[in-house]
Amino acid sequence: MGFIGKGLFEGMVVTARNFVGSYFDKERLVTVQYPEERVQTPENSRTFPFLVYDDDKDRIGTMRCVACKICETECPPQCIYIVMDRDEKGKPQQRPKVFDIDISVCMQCQICVEVCPFEAIKMDNDYEKSQYGRFNELVEHLPDLLKSNEYYNKIKPTEASAVDAKLKAEKEKKAKKAAPAAAKPAAATPKAAAPATPSAPKPAPVATTAPAAKLVIPDDAPFSPEQRQWLSGFLSAVSVGAASTTSAAPSTPAPTAAAPAATPAAAPAAEAAPAAAAPAGNWPWHDPGLGMQQRLDLAKSAPLADKLMAAMAQTDCHACGYDCRGYADAIASGAESDLSLCLPGEAETANMLKKLMEEAGKA
Amino acid sequence: MIQPLTEDKRVTLTPGSEGLIETQTLEVSIGPQHPSTHGVFRMDCVLDGETVVALKPVMGYLHRNHEQLAERMAWLGSMPYTDRLDYFNSMTNNWAYALAVEKLAGIKVPEHAEYVRVIMSELTRILNHSCVIGFMLQDLGAWGTPLLYAFREREKILDLFEAVSGSRMMCNYMRFGGVRVDMTEKDLAVAREIVARFPRFLDEFEKLLTTNEVLLARTQRIGILPKELAVNASISGPMARASGVEYDIRKIDNYGVYGRFDFRVPIGDVGDVYDRYYIRVLEMRESIRILQQALRDIPSGPHVAPEVKLRNFKIPPGDGYGRVEAPKGELGFYLVSDEGGKQPYRYHVRPPSFINLTTLEDMCLGHKVADVVIILGSIDIVLGEVDR
Repeated sequence: MGFIGKGLFEGMVVTARNFVGSYFDKERLVTVQYPEERVQTPENSRTFPFLVYDDDKDRIGTMRCVACKICETECPPQCIYIVMDRDEKGKPQQRPKVFDIDISVCMQCQICVEVCPFEAIKMDNDYEKSQYGRFNELVEHLPDLLKSNEYYNKIKPTEASAVDAKLKAEKEKKAKKAAPAAAKPAAATPKAAAPATPSAPKPAPVATTAPAAKLVIPDDAPFSPEQRQWLSGFLSAVSVGAASTTSAAPSTPAPTAAAPAATPAAAPAAEAAPAAAAPAGNWPWHDPGLGMQQRLDLAKSAPLADKLMAAMAQTDCHACGYDCRGYADAIASGAESDLSLCLPGEAETANMLKKLMEEAGKA
Repeated sequence: MIQPLTEDKRVTLTPGSEGLIETQTLEVSIGPQHPSTHGVFRMDCVLDGETVVALKPVMGYLHRNHEQLAERMAWLGSMPYTDRLDYFNSMTNNWAYALAVEKLAGIKVPEHAEYVRVIMSELTRILNHSCVIGFMLQDLGAWGTPLLYAFREREKILDLFEAVSGSRMMCNYMRFGGVRVDMTEKDLAVAREIVARFPRFLDEFEKLLTTNEVLLARTQRIGILPKELAVNASISGPMARASGVEYDIRKIDNYGVYGRFDFRVPIGDVGDVYDRYYIRVLEMRESIRILQQALRDIPSGPHVAPEVKLRNFKIPPGDGYGRVEAPKGELGFYLVSDEGGKQPYRYHVRPPSFINLTTLEDMCLGHKVADVVIILGSIDIVLGEVDR
């Protein structure tokens, strides 16, 4: 048993060993001198969400977010607020005008990231968010939230490279699909090419137009690589703009068609496009750049499921649990009775779906 | 303003002092802002001298409407909220909720995910028990030393949690049918190292405490919880086992893959504060054994059941109860799904801290005020779970 106080004595030995050991043993000294010394956070570490954009020159245009509002709906503490951007005619622009996150409410649960089908919202690992106020300072608006893909790659290399590979594969698949689809109507009626080019809502302007611009800037011109890149982007934009304003529509290359479609100059061309003759598997109304009425006009003579599909927002965001085609088919076949599932379409789509179903019921 | 608790106990006379001095009981309110109450919890004590003659726990200061909130959002939405129940053990909280949903929806969890869950919850148990001992000793007056040693070890486990789940405490790690992200080979290596080094810390910890005369004098025969009362009050977890009740849900339910591991359930015989302390030490040793086996046997495979949808997850009507052996006791979720099945119709939590706290008065009567603080510390409560 030993003497009385043996337990105490042994305890003292332990504390003494820890005290002395803390000067020599890294195991026993675990504190860091914070502002001077910082612990490297692991890659998975998360704090608050941010929005990813691809190109620094056009943050808003290359933002991946399409304002589908899935995260807003799914956020458990409801700290996200989104308003979709619309042009002067009220046509949805497939990007948020307002995107606010109240970081005093956000509980960093990452559910917005998990449910986002566009890889648009990601978790930051910046933990120094102290502010001098409690109210507006703690609401992050769209400009604060936008961060580049390079930044995302820097803080989470493994995750970001997987995302990049996935997006690239999706883009290639889309391009492959688009090539024959775009060729067919172009051969039949050149004018139909513009609306039929399936979505591609945000074409990367530099990538597609770079070859043309090379001709303009001589190789020996005194520009730095950044300046050269910017200039080539600028010049190509000017040349494309000139092409569309002189209404040389048939000669406009297909990838740029979606961009002018949003401008008023190209809108009449889209409206004038013939509605009939949609080949199976090719839906001219499946273009988020078009307005509701234009889409419905395009699907005027189509069966009910196609009409329903035309009423949707065409983002294929899976907010309803299907893509746009699948949701339309599910409603038409009666498998889905809830008509309010299209989040990006908002009340407009819900009302139109209801109207279409009522019309179909009467007929 | 405080009403007397029990009229008959209000005025008592110390035996032998009849006719000499008339004494009066004193009512003291300990808490809610008091470090020894482990959060915002209040005890209305009636004292005769220093002896407790009545005690009423007052709770609800941290009530956050957890159950009602869960009934208005999708099934997945309340997963991060379960982290905030017992904020020390978010992994086991997640598991209990996921288990209830899996039972209700009939989801089968891949084997690899089950092993990851076991590893995470046993690490959580080690983390909780070492810190609880630290807190209890802090209440005893051992300022800092055991607690900071425990925190030092806890830090390593929390770093692993952060590397795997992204957050140190609010892990939000489990998903219906598995876990959110898989543990990489590197994470498993870190876990193996923690497990290999932990017994050394535990030996040192025990040398510091188990035979310490001050600890023995302050904890033995203090706050005895009889076996019958433990059963009748449905006490669970280390507290019940310290009183000699053989009740461990890992053994009874064999949920997950616990049936495959070889481990023992330590049982106390007196049911005093010392037993509750020592049971936790022994449980940590058993957890290490489980971890060693799990880390050795972990198979490869998917980390989440592929058929489970993240969004628009619906459950057919029915009800289900999922329970796990959380470090504090039996943590259960009772869920009812109705027509539509997008969110729970009823969501009820069976919190171990809350139910274990109900016997506080029985354990404290006749002891000194200073003992009340240790007895409360030995119950191991977290107010996030008591008040929800």
